[in-house]
Amino acid sequence: MKVSLFITCLSDAFYPNVGESMVRLLARYGVRLDFPPVQTCCGQPAYNSGYWDDARKTAATIIEAFDESDFVISPSGSCTGMIHHYPKLFEHDPVMRVKAEQLQAKSYEFTQFLVHVLGVTDVGATFPHKVTYHPSCHGSRLLGVKDEPLALMQQVKDMELVPLPFAEDCCGFGGTFAVKMANISGAMVTEKADHVLESEAEVLVGLDMACLMNIAGNLRYRNKPVRVMHLAELLYEGVERA
Amino acid sequence: MSSTAAGSKQSTVKQRAELALNDEFLRKAVKFTTERLRSGKKSASEEHGNWDDWRERGRQIRLHTIAHLDYYLNLFADNARANGVHIHFAQTDVEAVRIALEIAQRKQAKSVVKSKSMVTEELHLNRALDSIGVEAIETDLGEYIIQLAGETPSHIIIPAIHKNRYQIADLLSAEAGETLAPDTQILAGFVRKKLREKFLEADIGMTGCNFAIAETGSMVLFENEGNARMVTTVPKTQITLMGMERIIPSFEDLEVMATLLPRSATGQKLTVYMSAITGPRRSDDADGPDEMHIIIVDNGRSNQLGDPEFQELLNCIRCGACLNACPVYRHIGGHAYGGTYSGPIGAVLTPALNSNVAEWDDIANASSLCGACYEACPVKIPLHDMLVYLRRRKVESGNGSKLESAGMKGFSAVMGDARRMRSALKIGQFGQKLVVREGGIRLRLGPLKGWNTYRVAPSLPKHTFRDRWKEVDRDAQMKGKPLDPAVQARMEAIVKQRQQGGGHGHGGHA
Amino acid sequence: MDMADTHKEWLQQMELQSQAKQKSFIDGISAKLGRPRTEQPPVHPFRGAPDFWRTFEWTAEERIERFGANFRAAGGYVERLSDMDEVRRFISDKAVEWSAKYVVRQGQPELDELNLEDALENANVAVWNSSVDEEWKARAAEADFGVVLADYAVAYTGSITVLSSKNKGRSVSLLPTVLFAVIPAERMRTRLGEPLQQFDAIGREELPAGIHFISGPSRSADIENDLTIGVHGPGVVYALIVG
Repeated sequence: MKVSLFITCLSDAFYPNVGESMVRLLARYGVRLDFPPVQTCCGQPAYNSGYWDDARKTAATIIEAFDESDFVISPSGSCTGMIHHYPKLFEHDPVMRVKAEQLQAKSYEFTQFLVHVLGVTDVGATFPHKVTYHPSCHGSRLLGVKDEPLALMQQVKDMELVPLPFAEDCCGFGGTFAVKMANISGAMVTEKADHVLESEAEVLVGLDMACLMNIAGNLRYRNKPVRVMHLAELLYEGVERA
Repeated sequence: MSSTAAGSKQSTVKQRAELALNDEFLRKAVKFTTERLRSGKKSASEEHGNWDDWRERGRQIRLHTIAHLDYYLNLFADNARANGVHIHFAQTDVEAVRIALEIAQRKQAKSVVKSKSMVTEELHLNRALDSIGVEAIETDLGEYIIQLAGETPSHIIIPAIHKNRYQIADLLSAEAGETLAPDTQILAGFVRKKLREKFLEADIGMTGCNFAIAETGSMVLFENEGNARMVTTVPKTQITLMGMERIIPSFEDLEVMATLLPRSATGQKLTVYMSAITGPRRSDDADGPDEMHIIIVDNGRSNQLGDPEFQELLNCIRCGACLNACPVYRHIGGHAYGGTYSGPIGAVLTPALNSNVAEWDDIANASSLCGACYEACPVKIPLHDMLVYLRRRKVESGNGSKLESAGMKGFSAVMGDARRMRSALKIGQFGQKLVVREGGIRLRLGPLKGWNTYRVAPSLPKHTFRDRWKEVDRDAQMKGKPLDPAVQARMEAIVKQRQQGGGHGHGGHA
Repeated sequence: MDMADTHKEWLQQMELQSQAKQKSFIDGISAKLGRPRTEQPPVHPFRGAPDFWRTFEWTAEERIERFGANFRAAGGYVERLSDMDEVRRFISDKAVEWSAKYVVRQGQPELDELNLEDALENANVAVWNSSVDEEWKARAAEADFGVVLADYAVAYTGSITVLSSKNKGRSVSLLPTVLFAVIPAERMRTRLGEPLQQFDAIGREELPAGIHFISGPSRSADIENDLTIGVHGPGVVYALIVG
């Protein structure tokens, strides 16, 4: 059984602790992750901007990287969601299309794998903080990851989970959108951070480092000391603490 | 649509959004209204229950009708004609306007009272009527207000969303010739009285059409004020402008649309009035129009037919739920979109109807692709996907930005190969040393300018995940536990099921 | 040749043009859809509401209760009256309360029996379309009260359904300031689909020119989201459920 980690370029480069937490947490359940080093980026920036030829090149790299895997797990609903676009991306290439469909069928966002495949909701974590959760759009809306993170968080001991006002609203990241439409994106992230502050949480948790980088960047810009972390980090830290 | 296309060249969505972002009242008003409508929709759909089943049913009815639009539209035309309606077909906006003006001239009309119609906005019909000396009066309260202001609707359901009561009081006072207090009751009372006269003296009533029922040739209107009923009851002549895709097969299908539309638009169980008009007045009726015309308008709609990526656009029932759900719309309002239709639906519909992706693409860029529009849509139109298709078409047609195009080439060159990605990261780790302060980057230059105007950018840590992989793996295995045989069995079963063709059941809309 | 004739000729001319255009217009759609024109009715497997909805029905009492709750929530008034005598008294009392001077009512036999003409001493009661040389729309426009008899009512949406005919004007439920809709309890349905399916069953040729569902007083929230009642249609609507 080959369970592979699709780390995503952002976590690989900027947030290695997210991958590390996943590896260590899953090891506790006897799942040894495999890491194909040829993996790069899911290709979303090019796909979303309309540069599908360029997107296909990176997508092909990902498809090849996980050709041998039985399960592919990623700490991002957005990048997992991008894999769901691969069949469309290769709709005129019968060979690659089949491979894309195969990859789609075996791709899981981290909490989906934990809850649905391993059957785990209580990882035995303790996290004595006030926490709020931002459900990232691609993961929750398009991939349908809604109940899984909540099920996991509800089992964390001593953690106070407080609602995030207008939680389902987009943080304004949107990849190149944040650069091309900087002021609209800026207005959106400012509003999102306002809501985080309104929740009075000490910690903001989520399932997508791109969104979290965006919100954390705004909070830091405003010198607001809210800790921002991926749920995998929170769970592993909580396990270590327990 | 040359006039709006020209409008888009005068300014970009970015510039228009800039104006909106700096208009404190506008942003507050739009936020307040969209939040009210959005929460109304949420509670109405939850109260109704099985919302996704209804959405799916609505989608199927629309898909079916559009897939057989030739049959159903033909049937509608035949039946409406049998009801005594004069049917006209207009391929273009010019043709539709010509027919409407010809009817107005033939009837020697002096004034036309109009109920809300997005198609007539699309055709700029008021201006055309004015050019032949026919007064066109919008009678929906919001539309009347923006007509007095000389503006266009900024929201499909609440056209004057961007105006406050003081501005409205000024506009109406000028019309009244006396000062009216900025009180909603007083202002609405003035409009009621003023427009009553207009209804009674108008020669022609002009409407849009929410749905047209193929099997009976009836046209259906949803509204709250009663002005659409006025327009279809009082004047001697009725002209209805109808997008060719407004068809549904039967009254039975109307139940599904009537379940989806008002709840999605305003959170109502039904609008105050839902009217089905089947032909002009019967010979012994004492009200209703003597003469009724329906102008069926294409104006770019048929370009979506047979296009697998955009045909579903024709399923739209014009409820405005995607505007209310859209975080971008909430910040910039409707006028920033620069076309007749605003919000996510406008961002896709405007270039699709105009078949000029290249010119309109900057609107397609004004989206974070969050999918809130898709989730809100009562007939499940995948607008977020369509926005990406529009961007792709612009690139494929050679109209992409040169800078971005080069950037994406670089992106795929680096990201298509792990070794190159690794080298690039090494360069980054080294190069950032000049600008990193306390683990973050605040520099507002080059590509970081927009980002760092609102945020601190993260710096690259010393080691990437892949640098640390071997050590982490070794360490984790030392502390690891064995795999539960039951879990192992489950995983094997999943793999097996997948090989037999299943396995798509763990999420994802695609 | 007078105007009417030339206009008629023009309409005929337009009719011919339209029929020719229809063929090319519809053929164009078939071509875009990439297949020959369909002449046969396509199989429509998704017609109407989902199956689970079709069997949904409230009891008679529940229908009345739900209708009332919905209609009130929309800003309307609801009265449960035992018979037409009570209806007569109710409207008479309101006429005194409002000092109503002009009343217009539909010409249905049930409303004839109400005999509002005698009951409303200080008001002029006009019966819709009861004479040929009257400006009926003007009569309705000046009326303080309009009185109609509902053809159906729908509990789930809180709606009254009125159909037009010779003695049932569309203006009567629209132009007066206050509307009274008399609803015989047995005409109360649960779902919107019930009357709508009736219209399919009645068929094109027998449908009235106007079918109107009315779910409360005329309203608008176009000025700063502030709800305003009675923008164009009646601002006060009474649903009088009888029996």
